[in-house]
Amino acid sequence: MTEFVLAGVLGTLFALGTYLVLRRDVVRVVWGVSIISQAANVYLVTMGGVEGAAPITGGHVGETLPTDPLVQALVLTAIVIGFGTTALALVLTYRVYQEHGTIDMYELGSTGGER
Amino acid sequence: MAPHVVIAPLVVALATAILTLLARSNGRLVRALSALGGLGYAVAAAALLSAVAPLGASRTLVYEVSAWRAPFGIVLVADALSTFMLGLTAVVSLAAVVYSILYVDAFGQRLSYHPLYHFMVVGVTGSFLTGDIFNLFVWFEVMLMSSYILVVFYSGAEHTRAALQYVVLNLLGSAVMLLAIGGLYATTGTLNMADIARRLGDPAAYGVAVVPVLGLSAVLFAVFALKAGLAPFHFWVPDAYRAAPAPVTAMLAGVVKKVGVYAIVRLYFTVFAAASLPVSLPGIGGDAALAFFGPVLFAMAAASILFGGVGAVSRDDMDGVLAYSSIGQVGFIALPLAVGATVPGVRELAVAAAVVYAFNHGLAKSLLFLASGTVKTVFDTERFGDLGGIAPRAPVLAAGFLLGALALIGVPPLSGFFGKFLVFDTAARAFAVDAAGAGAAIALALVGAVFTIAYFTRAWNAVFWGAPTDVVGAALPARWTPREPGVGEAVADGGERPDRADGGASVDDGAAPGSHPGMIPVSTVREAELAGQVVVIAALALAIVGFGIGFEALFGAAEAAARAALDTGAYVDAVDPGTAAALEVGH
Repeated sequence: MTEFVLAGVLGTLFALGTYLVLRRDVVRVVWGVSIISQAANVYLVTMGGVEGAAPITGGHVGETLPTDPLVQALVLTAIVIGFGTTALALVLTYRVYQEHGTIDMYELGSTGGER
Repeated sequence: MAPHVVIAPLVVALATAILTLLARSNGRLVRALSALGGLGYAVAAAALLSAVAPLGASRTLVYEVSAWRAPFGIVLVADALSTFMLGLTAVVSLAAVVYSILYVDAFGQRLSYHPLYHFMVVGVTGSFLTGDIFNLFVWFEVMLMSSYILVVFYSGAEHTRAALQYVVLNLLGSAVMLLAIGGLYATTGTLNMADIARRLGDPAAYGVAVVPVLGLSAVLFAVFALKAGLAPFHFWVPDAYRAAPAPVTAMLAGVVKKVGVYAIVRLYFTVFAAASLPVSLPGIGGDAALAFFGPVLFAMAAASILFGGVGAVSRDDMDGVLAYSSIGQVGFIALPLAVGATVPGVRELAVAAAVVYAFNHGLAKSLLFLASGTVKTVFDTERFGDLGGIAPRAPVLAAGFLLGALALIGVPPLSGFFGKFLVFDTAARAFAVDAAGAGAAIALALVGAVFTIAYFTRAWNAVFWGAPTDVVGAALPARWTPREPGVGEAVADGGERPDRADGGASVDDGAAPGSHPGMIPVSTVREAELAGQVVVIAALALAIVGFGIGFEALFGAAEAAARAALDTGAYVDAVDPGTAAALEVGH
C-alpha cells in the first residue's frame, strides 16, 4: 500500500518539478531542479522496499524480509550531493541577480550573450 | 601484483587538491604545488599505464576499496581503455595547469583556482577508473561541482548566465542519472558493472528481466550524451566554453567531454552488450542493446557534425568557432561508435577509431583554446573583426594554432590524420559488407571534414593572415616570439623550455638573446608569462606532431583499449572471478 502512495507522490513531485523548471523565474527553476532531485531520492528509497524489517543481520526473525539497505546508503550520498549543488545554484542565482539586475529567464536571454 | 598502483593517479590528484587548498595563503607555494601535482599525476598515470600494459601485453588491474570483494564493495578497475583515457588526461592536464599558472591572475590563483582544478581532475580520474555504476555518479558530481565554479570563475554578467545554464542542465542530468541507476539496480540487483554484465549475460539464472534494461540504459545514455555535448544535448557547450578561463575550457573540451564518451564505450560496449535482448522498434531491429544504440548514436553524431559545422562556420569570434567545432568533433567521435554498434564485424576498429579521435581532439582542441586564451590576453579581444595579421607578428603562436587546426582537419604527418583516416576506414569497411547506413556515414564524415576545413580556414584567415589590424599593431608593434624569430626553430625550442617557464616570474625569461621583445608595451613579468604560455602551446603542438610520427605506439594502445572495451568476459573475470560462470557474449 505504501508503495502505491509513494508512487503517486513521486508522480506529483516530478510533475511539480518539471512545471517549476519551465518557469521564467530563475529561483523557481532552482526549486524545480531540487524538487526533481529529491523525487529521484524518493524513487530510490521506494526501489528498496519500505515495508520490510530493519536490515540488521541476524536481527530479524519470522517471515518479514529486510528492506534493502543499499538504496538508503545511496540516497544518503545523493542527499549530501544535492544539498551542495542546491546551495551552489542558489548562490549562483543571487550572483546572476547582482550582475544582471533580473532573474527573469527571458530578460537574461535578451541581455546576455553576444551570439 | 601491485594493485595499489591503480589508485596512484587518484591519490596524487586528491593530495594536490587538498595541499593547494591548505597552502592557499601562499601564492607561490600554491603554484609550485599545483605544477608539481600536474607532473606527479603524469608520472602516476605513466606508472599505471606500464603496470596495465607490461611489454605490450594488456591486462586488467582491480583495486578493491577497503578489501571488500567485488560485487559488494566498490572496485576501481584499470584496463587498457581506462589507462588510455588517463594518458590523455595526464598530457592535457599538465599542459593546462602550467598554462593556468601563467594565465590566471594572481588573485584568482590565490583564491581557489588550483584546488578546484585538481578536484576536477580527481573527478575525471575516478570516472575513468570506477567499476561501480553508482560510484560513477559520485565521480561525475565531483567533476561537475568543480567545473560549475570554474565556469563561473570570472563571475561577470556573461559568466553567471552561462554558468546558470550549465548548472541547471547538469543538475537535471544528475537527477536523471540517479533515476536510471536506481532503475538498473532494481532490475539487475547489483551496481557493480562487471556483475551487471554477468547477470545480463545469463538473465534466467539470476532472475533478471532484460527488457527494462534497454529503456533504463537509454535514459542513462541521454545523461552521457549531455556530458559529451552530443546534439541534441549540446546547448550548454558554447556559452560555458566561452565563459570559463582558457585553461579550464581546454580541460572541459579536451578531457571532461571525453568522460561522457568513455562512459558510453564502457557501459554500452562492455556492460550492456552482454545482454541479448530482442529489439524491434520501427526501423530498428536486432538482438542486442547495441542494435538500438547504433542508429541512435548515428542520428546524434549526424546532428552534432552538421550543427557544430554550421555553427562554427557562422561564428565571429575564436572561442565561438572552437566551441561549436568541438560539438562537431564529438560527433566525429560518436560516428565510428555508431557504425561499430550497428556492424559487429568492424566493432573493434570502430572503438579504436573513436578513442584515437578522442585523443587527437583532446590534444588539438586544448591547444587551440589555449592559443585563443593567449590571443585574448595580448589583444584583449577575440572577435574576427578586430583581429588580423597576427602571424607575422607572433609566428610561434600562429604556428601552434595552425598545427592544432591542421590536426583537426586531418593533415597527414599529424596525429589528426590517423584519427580521421580510421573514422573513414571504419565506415568504408562497413560499406564493404553492405551494412545499412554505412554510405550515409561516409557522406556525413565527408561533409564534416569539409566543414572543418571551412571554419578553420576562415578563423586562420581572419585572425592570423593578412596585414596586421590596428588592434594588433597597437599591441604588437613589432615581431614577437618567445625566443627565436624563425618559426621552425622556435617551435623546436619549445619542447625543452617548459621547466624554465614554470618559474614564470623570472624577469629575463622572455628576453632571450637575439630577439627584441622589449618593444611590446607590457611589463617584463607579463611578457615572461606570455612567453611561457606560447611555450606550452608549442609543446602541445610538438606532442601532436610526435604522436603523428610515432602513431604506431598510439594505435597499439588504442587497439588494446578497443579489445579491452569489447571483451566483456575478460572484464567480468578480472573484476569478480568468484563465480566464473561461462559468459556467452556474441561478438
